[in-house]
Amino acid sequence: MNNTQSDLVTLSAQSPVGTLTLNRPDARNALSLELLDALHARLDELAARTDLHVLVVTGAGKAFCAGMDLKLVLDVPGAPLKLLTSLAEATLKLRALPMVTLAKVNGAAIGGGCGLACVCDLTLTHADAKLGFPEVDLGVCPAVVAPWLVRKVGAGHARRILLSGGLMSGERAFSLAMVDHLVPGLADLDAAADTIAQRLASGGPNALRATKDLLNHLDDSINPDLPLKGAQLSAKVIASDEAQAMLRAKMTK
Amino acid sequence: MIAFEPVGSLAVLRFDRESKRNALTPRMLRDLLSTLNTCASARAIVLSGVGPIFCAGFDLAMCRDDDAVLPELLTGLSGVIRALRRDPRPVVVSAHGAAVAGGCALLGAADAVVTHAEAKLGYPVVSIGISPAVSAPTLSLMTDPGPARARLLEPALISGTRAAQIGLAHECVVTREECEPRAIALAQELAQKPPGAFAYTKRWLNTIDGSDRDETLERALRTSLELVGGPEQVQRLAALKL
Repeated sequence: MNNTQSDLVTLSAQSPVGTLTLNRPDARNALSLELLDALHARLDELAARTDLHVLVVTGAGKAFCAGMDLKLVLDVPGAPLKLLTSLAEATLKLRALPMVTLAKVNGAAIGGGCGLACVCDLTLTHADAKLGFPEVDLGVCPAVVAPWLVRKVGAGHARRILLSGGLMSGERAFSLAMVDHLVPGLADLDAAADTIAQRLASGGPNALRATKDLLNHLDDSINPDLPLKGAQLSAKVIASDEAQAMLRAKMTK
Repeated sequence: MIAFEPVGSLAVLRFDRESKRNALTPRMLRDLLSTLNTCASARAIVLSGVGPIFCAGFDLAMCRDDDAVLPELLTGLSGVIRALRRDPRPVVVSAHGAAVAGGCALLGAADAVVTHAEAKLGYPVVSIGISPAVSAPTLSLMTDPGPARARLLEPALISGTRAAQIGLAHECVVTREECEPRAIALAQELAQKPPGAFAYTKRWLNTIDGSDRDETLERALRTSLELVGGPEQVQRLAALKL
């Protein structure tokens, strides 16, 4: 990996807490193939880090993550499936990390970006952040992230959220338990993340890991089938005339 | 250490160790099981605690003094959760004051939980090197899965208000004083249901959600037991200021 690519996702560590940052602020940290490649490399690195017990996941700049960057792949045959499969595999790796993960949602967390937040063990945001899954509004099926949202908020809430599309405030996300911790404003976020991370890090690492492993077993997070099938379904829907027309119209705006 | 009070057709069972915030001992868990069997004619069960605190969790001083106690408590807790979950009668918990760790685990066994706004609930046991895994299968059924994950991994307590928002409690009254009376009133309502239909429905729900499957509950218990006696658990418990 060259330097440019590795810079797309950065990792800083002050053992036992690490911070993984999506670092493409000029594109609101949208998930391009290059960014996902960098994310995979970092997740592979993290899987072997026994010194880190807590990982904070966040975005550089104003957004957490604006979701899939489809505009670069829409005209390339096979590219959407490649992008979506890469996202699905990244979600599986993120979930399987040995340390407890805390999504620090600093700003917009949209579609696949919101999915990444839901894959984390805990989620923190502020009242004014915008989160959600507007895929259906664009003719797209949020199939990769759906299993993770179901595992976060339960099947009933997930159905309502994914079929309604649109975005919601951090406050609403907290009331639906899509977010576990809420602070009033962005200015409060860093301090809250530090406090929660330190509190998590105070747990016995073996106890945390054993508990997380059991939870992943109980909710079948270790099974790759659903996210990978979701990538295929989502790519199929993106290839439809309906989605192509809506996505192109959106990009033209 | 279990106080039994018949209230109409109900059996109100209270942890009766107020001086220790109703901290659980192996004997209390055994007594709870035997009392459930002896009150067979009761139409519904209310599980509560004498005094201002429902239950502060395991008696950690006892665990520290005797290595055999912690595994006995974990195994006993798993047994009580199964017994309450599979009891054909309505089981209602009054989670007043605090329901911590093993005390909070009991909420996952109930059909209904009443708490109050300022009660403190949670599972902060990873900080002493204990995995709350034993509680995970039933807790994960009670709340949405995400909040269950957050509660089990984060060593922190939440308010009764938040507990009701995430499904850890079904009702949240305003004050502590209202909590047990409301739990009793709710149990009285449930006790009026036709017992056969109630029992069949409860058993069917246990089948659907898997809480009648010993395999899952055994795996969860094993996960908690595997850490007992390890250096992390021993050192952290020894360092705990009690």
